[in-house]
Order: sequence, then C-alpha cells, then structure tokens
Amino acid sequence: MDVRRESEATPTKNRTGVERKSERELVVTRTVNAPARLVFEAWTKAELFRRWWVPKSYGLTLLSCEMDVRVGGQYRLVFRHEDSTMEFFGTYLEVTPHSRLVWTNEEGDNGKTVTTVTFDENAGKTLLVVHDLYPSKEALDSGSTDAMPEALDQLDELLASLGSSTETQ
Amino acid sequence: MTLTGMKKHVGVLEQAGLVSTEKVGRVRTCKLGLRGLEEEAAWIERYRQLWAARFDELDIVVEELKRKEKANGRKKRK
Repeated sequence: MDVRRESEATPTKNRTGVERKSERELVVTRTVNAPARLVFEAWTKAELFRRWWVPKSYGLTLLSCEMDVRVGGQYRLVFRHEDSTMEFFGTYLEVTPHSRLVWTNEEGDNGKTVTTVTFDENAGKTLLVVHDLYPSKEALDSGSTDAMPEALDQLDELLASLGSSTETQ
Repeated sequence: MTLTGMKKHVGVLEQAGLVSTEKVGRVRTCKLGLRGLEEEAAWIERYRQLWAARFDELDIVVEELKRKEKANGRKKRK
C-alpha cells in the first residue's frame, strides 16, 4: 500500500461541490492548496494524471494513459475492469498554461461532451472548476446512470466501509 | 402566489423533469415526479463522491510536487 503520511500536516480537506447548471451542464468545484502551476502540471503530465484520475478505490486498472497536451492533440485512456476494457479519448481544444484546459470526450454514442477546466489561483491556492457541457440533456442523463455503474457501486461500498471502519486502518 | 406566478413555477419544474402536467379542458393536472428528484440527488451525490475521491488523490500528487519544488530550492518570489 501507500506510504503513510498521517502525521504530516494533513491539510483540512477542501470541499468538492457539484452543481447541475442546466440540462446540459455539470460543474464540479474544488480548491487545492497549491499554486496553479503545480495543479496544472498534475492535470497535464500523463505520469502524474494517471495517479489521481482513477481513485485507487475504484477497482479499475488504468492500462494506458496517453496525453498529447497541445491544441489539437489527442488523449486516450484505456481501462480494464474485470473482463472488459473501456476507452476514453478526445482532443484538446484549448491549452493555456496554468489557467485553462478544454478537451472533448468523443467516446460516447450521443455526440461530444466538452470539458473545460479552469485553474484560478488566489493566495497560493487554486480554485478548480470543471465544467462539462453535454451534447444533449439525454446524454447527461444517460451518462449519469450508465457511466461505470459497477465502479460507482464499488466506490459506494468503499465510502461506506471507510465511514464505518476508520479505526481498523 | 398569482396564477401567472404559479404557471411559471410549474413550467420551470416541468422543464426540469420534476413534474409532468396534463391539460384536460380547463383543468391542468400536475403529477409530481418526486422519484426523479430523489434519483437525481442520489446520482449527483455519487458523482460528487467520485470527484471528491479523485481530488483527494490529486492533493497527494500536488503535495508531492510542492515538496519536490521546495527540495529543489526553487523559490519564486511573488
């Protein structure tokens, strides 16, 4: 397992917010206790990105993670989940160092979803806003119900077990 | 609430898929889609938990970058 680093000033966790802005938009926000250039690095270097994008708790194996982070560049993530593989891929539309990333998600059947991430630094902390614009209401709604349901179930189980058994760790 | 206000209110709920309405003659009947509302709240919460878990891992990566930067003695003056 991972190195334990309990004693080392675990900063108070920042809250993750999710808001459905409209029929087609979903927005996630979170503050990270670091300057934007470091947070941006973690989003744009494949070897760093792959370490956090799929939470360990997920039960998914990231088989490969290729990211060509420049305008028009492609990314492709391949996962294994039990006996099947899943691919997520798309194109970077905007890459503005330390402040903004825009990419498409082209794996869906219902058209492209566009993800915009902004990095807003203030007093050494960075506010992250992840904005997903779905091609239609149906795409958002179906994404909500069939996007990796097993993984989400596992996550639910994990979160439940974390909540009830913290002392066993 | 005025009738117009009510109409507008119901219209918004209907657009959001939380109620459905049916007009028969002069009477418009509303059906509450409460289950839809609960389901939506549940999946938003699940989605939030996914992102929260993701960001917790991101925090670890970023903390590591911060330490490395410090160790490398790179000091950036504001």
